[in-house]
Amino acid sequence: MKRLPKKRKQSIQVGMAIIFFVAICISVLYAFVILKHDPYLTNLSGRLQSMSLLHPLGTDHLGRDVLTRLLLGGQQTIGYSLLALVAAVIIGVPFGIISGYKRGIIDRLFMRVADGFLAFPDTIVAIVLVGLLGPSISNLILAIILVKWVNYARLVRSTVLTEAQKEYILIARMNGLPARKIMTKHLFPHIIGHVFVMASLDLGKIILLISAFSYIGLGAQPPMPEWGAMLNDSRPYFESKPELMIYPGLAIVLVVLLTNMLGDYLRDRFDVKKEVQS
Amino acid sequence: MILSIEEVTIRSQNKTIVDQVSLSIREGDWYALVGQSGSGKSLLSQSIGQMLPPRLQVEGRIVFKGQDLLSMSAKEIRRVRGKKVAYIFQDYQGSFTPFRKIGQHFHEYLKVHGVTSKQKRYDQAVEALESVGLEEALFHRYPFQLSGGQLQRVAIALALLLTPDLVIADEITTALDSVSGHRVLEMLAKKQKETGCSILFITHDWRHVRRYADRLAIMKDGKIVESGGKHKILDHPHHDYTKQLIKAAPILGDGLRSGLDKERKA
Repeated sequence: MKRLPKKRKQSIQVGMAIIFFVAICISVLYAFVILKHDPYLTNLSGRLQSMSLLHPLGTDHLGRDVLTRLLLGGQQTIGYSLLALVAAVIIGVPFGIISGYKRGIIDRLFMRVADGFLAFPDTIVAIVLVGLLGPSISNLILAIILVKWVNYARLVRSTVLTEAQKEYILIARMNGLPARKIMTKHLFPHIIGHVFVMASLDLGKIILLISAFSYIGLGAQPPMPEWGAMLNDSRPYFESKPELMIYPGLAIVLVVLLTNMLGDYLRDRFDVKKEVQS
Repeated sequence: MILSIEEVTIRSQNKTIVDQVSLSIREGDWYALVGQSGSGKSLLSQSIGQMLPPRLQVEGRIVFKGQDLLSMSAKEIRRVRGKKVAYIFQDYQGSFTPFRKIGQHFHEYLKVHGVTSKQKRYDQAVEALESVGLEEALFHRYPFQLSGGQLQRVAIALALLLTPDLVIADEITTALDSVSGHRVLEMLAKKQKETGCSILFITHDWRHVRRYADRLAIMKDGKIVESGGKHKILDHPHHDYTKQLIKAAPILGDGLRSGLDKERKA
């Protein structure tokens, strides 16, 4: 097969990502507007039904409409992931900027804390935290925020450390600008691109983390529709009704793939140097 | 005396970079500080505005208009920076925040130093740009859209915007070609005549010293080996290092001999 030129390949990727994104938006909208079934309504006489007009993807082991739960689950999974991500960024970025710009004792203190967090893999820290706080989706989100903010703070700090040595920051200081202004007006716009890229790549990871934790019962609790939890719910019926596991599994894969594509695209877009050169 | 540096020593953890340096600049002086790379000139100049990296320690006194700059609090020194002491740097590309327009730099700078009216800031900035021979249109451009000479002239306009008493020019022509460099220096000299500010001119180029400086000091390995009036030093250098430097400087008119004679003979 002939390899596509990089630019062409990229635009196809972006096109696909956008199509998926629109599709997801429409389905989420569908879940809001045209939702016909109650996602929590159990109907034991109609359990494990196959596809039908009434239930486009059939029903699960408690007779609940799978499509409805899948869409609502998407809202939950993506919504919670975004929440965790935004919170991690909001905490991590100011910490990183202040630590990298002010240096000194704040920086040293922060670095020790960050090293402590980074010494263990994300998943283990999250498991311990959720284990301590008790399994629930809000505790899981809290754990993810606690684990993730360090990464942003570290990224921002290292970027700020190199930027702060540059002459435009020196000039800004020499011109008598207060530190607050330098951090918000001169450093923040510089790092926000990097943060964006990292965040979009992280979104997929967080979705996976939430689903994985829900799958092992440490995240979303039944009857809440969540993709990982749905996977777990349908496990006993894998041999008779494999599609019950395939739907949420596929949903997770697609969304994670999509966020990664967007992340890659953003990384290319935010490459400031390349833009100036071209 | 507008600025006197008294026995200033700058050291890092294990090395003395600037050693007991003293010099004084009079009002309206063009004071040249000459020396090789790594002789501590730039660090000395940065210590004037308390701009040294935190790992370096400074001792001594830097008296500016009767006040010791080194003992000022962060708030006090901020009022001096930009308004009374201004800097111009060698790296013109790096002197401007890349994603902010030229105009935004002017606005911000004036705002911080108390010019609240937007229209007034704009007028003042445009006037400053025009005074260094640049058009108003540059106001809306990004730094990377300007040429090196243009940027360096913007830097001068910015530095002189609030009519500081002292301008520190750190090798401002090094990164420019000689024509642009010449124009930038002419501009600076003209502005100095207009505003009467003193200039601490850091350089290693003897041509500029010859042409513009009133007085000069020669720095080597963190020490000042010789200082005084320009003509005294240029005509009667005492220190060996000064003699060496002067000898090594290229002199206009006496350039490389043409190879034509040799060719003809062959």
